[in-house]
Amino acid sequence: MSLAGVNDDNYSNKSNLCENTPFDEDVDEEEDNIYINEETELGREHVLIAHGPQRRIVPPLNFCPVERHLYRSGQPSPVNFPFLLNLNLRTIIWLANEEPQDSLLEFCDIHNIRLEFAAINPDGGEDDNPWDGLTEHSIINALQTIVNQDNYPLLVCCGMGRHRTGTVIGCLRRIMGWNLASVSEEYRRFTGSRGGRILVELLIEAFDTNLVKIDSSKAPSWLLTALE
Amino acid sequence: MPESTNYIPPLSFSPVVSTDVSLYRSGYPMPLNFPFIRDQLHLRTIIYVGDKQELSQEYQDFLATENIKFHNIFMDSCRDPAVDERMNEVLKLVLDIDNYPILIHSNKGKHRVGVVVGIIRKVLQGWSLTGIYQEYGIFSGGLKGEADMEYVTMFETCLKVPKEKVPRFAIF
Repeated sequence: MSLAGVNDDNYSNKSNLCENTPFDEDVDEEEDNIYINEETELGREHVLIAHGPQRRIVPPLNFCPVERHLYRSGQPSPVNFPFLLNLNLRTIIWLANEEPQDSLLEFCDIHNIRLEFAAINPDGGEDDNPWDGLTEHSIINALQTIVNQDNYPLLVCCGMGRHRTGTVIGCLRRIMGWNLASVSEEYRRFTGSRGGRILVELLIEAFDTNLVKIDSSKAPSWLLTALE
Repeated sequence: MPESTNYIPPLSFSPVVSTDVSLYRSGYPMPLNFPFIRDQLHLRTIIYVGDKQELSQEYQDFLATENIKFHNIFMDSCRDPAVDERMNEVLKLVLDIDNYPILIHSNKGKHRVGVVVGIIRKVLQGWSLTGIYQEYGIFSGGLKGEADMEYVTMFETCLKVPKEKVPRFAIF
Protein backbone atom coordinates (compact mmCIF):
# COMPACT_ATOMS: atom_id res chain seq x y z
CA MET A 1 0.00 0.00 0.00
CA SER A 2 1.25 3.41 -0.88
CA LEU A 3 1.75 6.04 1.75
CA ALA A 4 1.41 8.81 -0.76
CA GLY A 5 -1.91 10.49 -1.12
CA VAL A 6 -3.62 8.94 1.88
CA ASN A 7 -5.14 12.31 2.66
CA ASP A 8 -6.33 13.02 -0.83
CA ASP A 9 -10.01 12.45 -0.32
CA ASN A 10 -12.42 12.77 2.56
CA TYR A 11 -9.94 15.05 4.23
CA SER A 12 -12.36 17.49 5.82
CA ASN A 13 -14.93 15.22 7.39
CA LYS A 14 -12.51 12.49 8.48
CA SER A 15 -10.16 14.82 10.25
CA ASN A 16 -12.87 15.96 12.61
CA LEU A 17 -13.75 12.41 13.37
CA CYS A 18 -10.16 11.61 14.19
CA GLU A 19 -9.78 14.46 16.61
CA ASN A 20 -12.94 13.79 18.49
CA THR A 21 -13.39 10.06 18.60
CA PRO A 22 -12.60 8.72 22.04
CA PHE A 23 -10.99 5.59 20.77
CA ASP A 24 -10.84 3.42 23.85
CA GLU A 25 -14.41 2.16 23.77
CA ASP A 26 -14.57 1.66 20.02
CA VAL A 27 -11.40 -0.31 20.17
CA ASP A 28 -12.55 -2.68 22.89
CA GLU A 29 -15.41 -3.86 20.75
CA GLU A 30 -13.27 -4.64 17.78
CA GLU A 31 -10.06 -5.52 19.42
CA ASP A 32 -9.93 -9.01 18.01
CA ASN A 33 -9.59 -7.93 14.45
CA ILE A 34 -7.99 -4.53 14.52
CA TYR A 35 -4.47 -4.28 13.35
CA ILE A 36 -2.27 -1.92 11.52
CA ASN A 37 -3.42 -0.83 8.11
CA GLU A 38 -7.04 -1.66 8.68
CA GLU A 39 -9.55 0.98 7.75
CA THR A 40 -11.47 1.88 10.88
CA GLU A 41 -13.78 4.62 11.86
CA LEU A 42 -10.70 6.55 12.92
CA GLY A 43 -10.56 7.43 9.27
CA ARG A 44 -7.90 7.22 6.68
CA GLU A 45 -5.41 9.51 8.34
CA HIS A 46 -4.61 7.38 11.32
CA VAL A 47 -3.93 3.75 11.85
CA LEU A 48 -4.41 1.68 14.94
CA ILE A 49 -1.55 -0.42 16.17
CA ALA A 50 -2.75 -3.27 18.36
CA HIS A 51 -1.33 -6.76 18.14
CA GLY A 52 -0.33 -7.25 14.55
CA PRO A 53 -2.08 -9.45 12.01
CA GLN A 54 -3.40 -12.92 12.81
CA ARG A 55 -1.55 -14.38 9.88
CA ARG A 56 2.12 -14.56 10.76
CA ILE A 57 5.23 -14.69 8.63
CA VAL A 58 8.08 -16.99 9.61
CA PRO A 59 11.69 -15.88 9.03
CA PRO A 60 14.20 -18.52 7.89
CA LEU A 61 16.61 -19.97 10.43
CA ASN A 62 19.23 -17.46 11.58
CA PHE A 63 17.70 -14.69 9.49
CA CYS A 64 19.12 -11.22 10.00
CA PRO A 65 19.46 -8.01 7.99
CA VAL A 66 23.08 -7.18 7.16
CA GLU A 67 22.82 -3.88 5.31
CA ARG A 68 20.16 -2.11 3.28
CA HIS A 69 18.33 -4.77 1.23
CA LEU A 70 21.01 -7.33 2.12
CA TYR A 71 20.04 -10.29 4.31
CA ARG A 72 21.55 -13.52 5.65
CA SER A 73 19.93 -16.79 6.74
CA GLY A 74 19.95 -20.58 6.71
CA GLN A 75 18.25 -22.53 3.94
CA PRO A 76 14.69 -21.25 3.50
CA SER A 77 11.95 -23.87 3.53
CA PRO A 78 8.37 -23.53 2.23
CA VAL A 79 7.14 -22.20 5.58
CA ASN A 80 9.43 -19.18 5.02
CA PHE A 81 8.26 -18.34 1.49
CA PRO A 82 5.64 -15.74 2.47
CA PHE A 83 8.32 -14.06 4.57
CA LEU A 84 10.77 -14.09 1.66
CA LEU A 85 8.16 -12.58 -0.65
CA ASN A 86 8.05 -9.54 1.62
CA LEU A 87 11.74 -8.96 0.96
CA ASN A 88 11.17 -8.64 -2.81
CA LEU A 89 14.40 -10.51 -3.46
CA ARG A 90 16.12 -10.30 -6.80
CA THR A 91 18.98 -12.68 -5.99
CA ILE A 92 19.74 -15.51 -3.56
CA ILE A 93 23.34 -16.64 -3.10
CA TRP A 94 23.42 -20.30 -2.08
CA LEU A 95 26.73 -21.36 -0.55
CA ALA A 96 26.96 -25.12 -1.02
CA ASN A 97 28.06 -27.75 -3.50
CA GLU A 98 24.76 -29.56 -3.50
CA GLU A 99 21.55 -28.07 -4.83
CA PRO A 100 19.06 -26.62 -2.37
CA GLN A 101 15.68 -28.31 -1.84
CA ASP A 102 13.48 -28.56 -4.93
CA SER A 103 10.88 -26.36 -3.27
CA LEU A 104 13.36 -23.48 -3.09
CA LEU A 105 14.38 -23.94 -6.73
CA GLU A 106 10.73 -23.87 -7.70
CA PHE A 107 10.05 -20.81 -5.55
CA CYS A 108 12.90 -18.90 -7.19
CA ASP A 109 11.68 -19.95 -10.59
CA ILE A 110 8.10 -18.79 -10.01
CA HIS A 111 9.09 -15.48 -8.49
CA ASN A 112 11.85 -14.69 -10.89
CA ILE A 113 14.60 -14.73 -8.28
CA ARG A 114 18.08 -15.48 -9.57
CA LEU A 115 19.58 -18.29 -7.54
CA GLU A 116 23.34 -18.06 -7.61
CA PHE A 117 25.34 -21.11 -6.63
CA ALA A 118 28.65 -20.33 -5.04
CA ALA A 119 29.98 -23.87 -4.78
CA ILE A 120 32.24 -24.08 -1.78
CA ASN A 121 34.70 -26.40 -3.47
CA PRO A 122 33.86 -26.76 -7.17
CA ASP A 123 36.48 -29.44 -7.72
CA GLY A 124 35.51 -31.50 -4.72
CA GLY A 125 32.75 -33.43 -6.46
CA GLU A 126 31.39 -36.36 -4.50
CA ASP A 127 34.24 -36.18 -2.01
CA ASP A 128 33.12 -32.82 -0.79
CA ASN A 129 32.75 -32.51 2.96
CA PRO A 130 29.91 -30.24 4.00
CA TRP A 131 32.02 -29.01 6.90
CA ASP A 132 34.79 -27.83 4.60
CA GLY A 133 35.32 -24.11 4.61
CA LEU A 134 34.81 -21.92 1.58
CA THR A 135 37.65 -21.51 -0.88
CA GLU A 136 38.99 -18.05 -1.52
CA HIS A 137 37.64 -18.30 -5.03
CA SER A 138 34.07 -18.93 -3.90
CA ILE A 139 34.25 -16.14 -1.31
CA ILE A 140 35.33 -13.70 -4.01
CA ASN A 141 32.56 -14.91 -6.32
CA ALA A 142 29.91 -14.32 -3.69
CA LEU A 143 31.35 -10.92 -2.78
CA GLN A 144 31.45 -9.77 -6.41
CA THR A 145 27.69 -10.34 -6.46
CA ILE A 146 27.24 -8.53 -3.16
CA VAL A 147 29.13 -5.40 -4.23
CA ASN A 148 26.85 -4.92 -7.24
CA GLN A 149 23.61 -3.02 -6.60
CA ASP A 150 22.00 -4.62 -9.66
CA ASN A 151 21.59 -7.83 -7.65
CA TYR A 152 19.59 -6.29 -4.81
CA PRO A 153 17.54 -7.05 -2.74
CA LEU A 154 19.82 -9.97 -1.94
CA LEU A 155 19.84 -12.93 0.45
CA VAL A 156 23.03 -14.84 1.32
CA CYS A 157 22.36 -18.30 2.71
CA CYS A 158 23.76 -21.76 3.37
CA GLY A 159 22.41 -24.83 5.17
CA MET A 160 22.28 -23.37 8.67
CA GLY A 161 23.27 -19.77 8.02
CA ARG A 162 26.24 -20.13 10.34
CA HIS A 163 29.73 -20.76 9.03
CA ARG A 164 29.68 -20.33 5.25
CA THR A 165 27.35 -17.37 5.35
CA GLY A 166 29.37 -16.08 8.29
CA THR A 167 32.58 -16.32 6.28
CA VAL A 168 31.20 -14.28 3.39
CA ILE A 169 29.61 -11.65 5.61
CA GLY A 170 32.79 -11.51 7.71
CA CYS A 171 34.89 -10.79 4.62
CA LEU A 172 32.37 -8.14 3.57
CA ARG A 173 32.77 -6.47 6.98
CA ARG A 174 36.54 -6.45 6.47
CA ILE A 175 36.06 -4.70 3.13
CA MET A 176 33.90 -2.18 5.01
CA GLY A 177 36.76 -1.48 7.37
CA TRP A 178 35.35 -3.14 10.48
CA ASN A 179 37.69 -3.96 13.30
CA LEU A 180 38.45 -7.70 13.38
CA ALA A 181 37.10 -8.24 16.90
CA SER A 182 33.75 -6.77 15.81
CA VAL A 183 33.70 -9.03 12.74
CA SER A 184 34.29 -12.08 14.93
CA GLU A 185 31.64 -10.99 17.41
CA GLU A 186 29.09 -10.83 14.61
CA TYR A 187 30.19 -14.19 13.18
CA ARG A 188 29.95 -15.95 16.54
CA ARG A 189 26.47 -14.63 17.22
CA PHE A 190 25.08 -16.94 14.56
CA THR A 191 27.10 -20.06 15.29
CA GLY A 192 24.88 -21.57 17.98
CA SER A 193 25.87 -23.36 21.15
CA ARG A 194 29.01 -24.98 19.71
CA GLY A 195 30.49 -21.59 19.02
CA GLY A 196 32.63 -20.26 16.21
CA ARG A 197 35.21 -22.21 14.25
CA ILE A 198 38.74 -20.92 14.49
CA LEU A 199 39.31 -21.88 10.83
CA VAL A 200 36.54 -19.58 9.70
CA GLU A 201 37.96 -16.72 11.73
CA LEU A 202 41.42 -17.32 10.29
CA LEU A 203 39.95 -17.33 6.80
CA ILE A 204 38.24 -13.99 7.46
CA GLU A 205 41.36 -12.47 8.99
CA ALA A 206 43.62 -13.63 6.16
CA PHE A 207 41.23 -12.61 3.38
CA ASP A 208 42.82 -10.16 0.98
CA THR A 209 40.13 -7.52 0.55
CA ASN A 210 41.84 -6.12 -2.55
CA LEU A 211 40.81 -9.23 -4.48
CA VAL A 212 37.23 -7.95 -4.68
CA LYS A 213 36.87 -5.43 -7.46
CA ILE A 214 34.41 -2.70 -6.58
CA ASP A 215 32.88 -0.66 -9.36
CA SER A 216 31.79 2.53 -7.63
CA SER A 217 29.13 3.20 -10.26
CA LYS A 218 27.42 -0.08 -9.30
CA ALA A 219 28.22 -0.44 -5.60
CA PRO A 220 25.45 -0.05 -2.98
CA SER A 221 25.54 3.35 -1.30
CA TRP A 222 26.26 1.95 2.18
CA LEU A 223 29.39 0.32 0.78
CA LEU A 224 30.57 3.56 -0.78
CA THR A 225 29.96 5.32 2.53
CA ALA A 226 32.09 2.73 4.30
CA LEU A 227 34.89 3.06 1.75
CA GLU A 228 35.08 6.84 1.84
CA MET B 1 41.88 2.97 2.71
CA PRO B 2 39.43 0.83 4.70
CA GLU B 3 42.19 -1.22 6.30
CA SER B 4 43.42 1.74 8.30
CA THR B 5 40.03 3.14 9.30
CA ASN B 6 39.20 0.17 11.52
CA TYR B 7 35.65 1.02 12.41
CA ILE B 8 34.40 -0.40 15.69
CA PRO B 9 30.61 -0.79 15.80
CA PRO B 10 29.04 -0.85 19.27
CA LEU B 11 28.65 -4.19 21.02
CA SER B 12 25.90 -6.41 19.58
CA PHE B 13 25.36 -3.98 16.74
CA SER B 14 22.99 -5.03 13.96
CA PRO B 15 20.44 -3.61 11.57
CA VAL B 16 16.87 -4.46 12.58
CA VAL B 17 15.12 -3.00 9.56
CA SER B 18 17.11 -2.24 6.43
CA THR B 19 14.56 -1.44 3.77
CA ASP B 20 12.86 1.91 3.24
CA VAL B 21 14.22 3.16 6.57
CA SER B 22 17.15 2.17 8.75
CA LEU B 23 16.60 0.94 12.28
CA TYR B 24 19.59 -0.35 14.23
CA ARG B 25 20.13 -2.05 17.59
CA SER B 26 23.20 -2.21 19.81
CA GLY B 27 24.69 -2.09 23.27
CA TYR B 28 25.75 1.16 24.95
CA PRO B 29 27.89 3.22 22.53
CA MET B 30 31.37 4.05 23.80
CA PRO B 31 33.63 6.82 22.49
CA LEU B 32 35.56 4.27 20.41
CA ASN B 33 32.31 3.55 18.54
CA PHE B 34 31.58 7.18 17.71
CA PRO B 35 33.53 7.28 14.39
CA PHE B 36 31.53 4.27 13.15
CA ILE B 37 28.20 5.81 14.19
CA ARG B 38 29.14 9.17 12.74
CA ASP B 39 30.52 7.97 9.39
CA GLN B 40 28.32 4.99 8.64
CA LEU B 41 24.93 5.40 10.29
CA HIS B 42 24.12 9.13 9.98
CA LEU B 43 21.56 8.83 12.76
CA ARG B 44 18.79 11.26 13.43
CA THR B 45 17.55 9.60 16.62
CA ILE B 46 18.93 7.45 19.42
CA ILE B 47 16.54 5.69 21.81
CA TYR B 48 18.11 4.42 25.01
CA VAL B 49 16.08 1.85 26.90
CA GLY B 50 17.78 1.40 30.22
CA ASP B 51 18.35 2.39 33.79
CA LYS B 52 21.28 4.82 33.54
CA GLN B 53 20.05 8.33 34.12
CA GLU B 54 23.15 10.33 33.37
CA LEU B 55 25.03 10.57 30.12
CA SER B 56 28.78 10.88 30.03
CA GLN B 57 30.09 14.25 28.87
CA GLU B 58 31.62 12.59 25.83
CA TYR B 59 28.30 11.06 24.81
CA GLN B 60 26.50 14.37 25.31
CA ASP B 61 29.10 16.17 23.21
CA PHE B 62 28.84 13.56 20.49
CA LEU B 63 25.05 13.84 20.34
CA ALA B 64 25.27 17.62 20.20
CA THR B 65 27.94 17.69 17.49
CA GLU B 66 26.12 15.17 15.34
CA ASN B 67 22.75 16.77 16.02
CA ILE B 68 21.17 13.49 17.13
CA LYS B 69 17.94 13.58 19.13
CA PHE B 70 18.29 11.45 22.24
CA HIS B 71 15.34 9.79 23.99
CA ASN B 72 15.95 8.20 27.35
CA ILE B 73 13.18 5.68 27.99
CA PHE B 74 13.62 4.40 31.50
CA MET B 75 13.37 0.64 31.61
CA ASP B 76 14.82 -1.59 34.23
CA SER B 77 13.38 -4.81 32.89
CA CYS B 78 10.19 -6.07 31.32
CA ARG B 79 8.83 -6.60 34.84
CA ASP B 80 8.69 -2.86 35.58
CA PRO B 81 5.19 -1.73 36.52
CA ALA B 82 5.14 1.03 33.88
CA VAL B 83 6.82 -0.97 31.15
CA ASP B 84 3.79 -0.99 28.83
CA GLU B 85 3.69 2.80 28.69
CA ARG B 86 7.42 2.95 28.05
CA MET B 87 7.09 0.41 25.29
CA ASN B 88 4.36 2.52 23.69
CA GLU B 89 6.67 5.54 23.81
CA VAL B 90 9.31 3.56 21.93
CA LEU B 91 6.75 2.34 19.38
CA LYS B 92 5.51 5.87 18.74
CA LEU B 93 9.06 6.99 17.95
CA VAL B 94 9.58 3.99 15.69
CA LEU B 95 6.28 4.68 13.89
CA ASP B 96 7.34 8.14 12.74
CA ILE B 97 9.42 8.25 9.56
CA ASP B 98 10.74 11.66 10.52
CA ASN B 99 12.86 10.06 13.25
CA TYR B 100 14.90 7.80 10.98
CA PRO B 101 17.66 6.59 10.89
CA ILE B 102 17.16 5.32 14.46
CA LEU B 103 19.47 3.43 16.82
CA ILE B 104 17.88 1.68 19.80
CA HIS B 105 20.35 0.67 22.44
CA SER B 106 20.37 -0.66 25.97
CA ASN B 107 23.48 -1.46 28.01
CA LYS B 108 24.55 -4.73 26.44
CA GLY B 109 22.13 -4.85 23.55
CA LYS B 110 20.76 -8.20 24.62
CA HIS B 111 17.73 -8.29 26.84
CA ARG B 112 16.00 -4.91 26.85
CA VAL B 113 16.68 -4.24 23.18
CA GLY B 114 15.76 -7.86 22.50
CA VAL B 115 12.31 -7.25 23.97
CA VAL B 116 11.82 -4.00 22.05
CA VAL B 117 12.87 -5.63 18.77
CA GLY B 118 10.66 -8.65 19.52
CA ILE B 119 7.68 -6.36 19.92
CA ILE B 120 8.45 -4.51 16.69
CA ARG B 121 8.72 -7.86 14.90
CA LYS B 122 5.42 -9.04 16.35
CA VAL B 123 3.20 -5.98 16.24
CA LEU B 124 4.54 -4.10 13.23
CA GLN B 125 5.96 -6.85 11.03
CA GLY B 126 3.83 -9.87 11.86
CA TRP B 127 6.71 -12.24 12.60
CA SER B 128 5.91 -15.63 14.10
CA LEU B 129 6.85 -16.04 17.76
CA THR B 130 9.41 -18.75 16.97
CA GLY B 131 11.24 -16.35 14.67
CA ILE B 132 11.19 -13.75 17.43
CA TYR B 133 12.49 -16.21 20.05
CA GLN B 134 15.27 -17.26 17.75
CA GLU B 135 16.38 -13.73 17.03
CA TYR B 136 16.33 -12.96 20.76
CA GLY B 137 18.54 -16.01 21.31
CA ILE B 138 21.06 -14.96 18.65
CA PHE B 139 21.70 -11.71 20.48
CA SER B 140 21.37 -12.86 24.07
CA GLY B 141 23.56 -15.91 23.62
CA GLY B 142 20.59 -18.06 24.62
CA LEU B 143 20.49 -16.80 28.20
CA LYS B 144 17.62 -16.09 30.60
CA GLY B 145 14.98 -15.08 28.16
CA GLU B 146 11.86 -16.69 29.59
CA ALA B 147 10.37 -13.62 31.26
CA ASP B 148 11.30 -11.42 28.31
CA MET B 149 9.73 -13.78 25.81
CA GLU B 150 6.61 -14.16 27.92
CA TYR B 151 6.31 -10.39 27.90
CA VAL B 152 6.64 -10.24 24.11
CA THR B 153 4.11 -13.03 23.72
CA MET B 154 1.52 -11.32 25.90
CA PHE B 155 2.15 -7.77 24.74
CA GLU B 156 -0.74 -5.94 23.16
CA THR B 157 -1.16 -2.28 22.64
CA CYS B 158 -3.50 0.26 21.21
CA LEU B 159 -1.86 3.19 19.54
CA LYS B 160 -3.36 5.69 17.18
CA VAL B 161 -0.72 7.12 14.88
CA PRO B 162 -0.83 9.33 11.79
CA LYS B 163 -0.82 7.05 8.79
CA GLU B 164 1.34 9.26 6.62
CA LYS B 165 4.17 9.02 9.14
CA VAL B 166 4.20 5.24 9.41
CA PRO B 167 7.29 3.73 7.77
CA ARG B 168 6.55 1.33 4.95
CA PHE B 169 8.08 -1.71 6.63
CA ALA B 170 5.24 -1.62 9.15
CA ILE B 171 2.54 -1.77 6.52
CA PHE B 172 1.76 -5.01 4.84
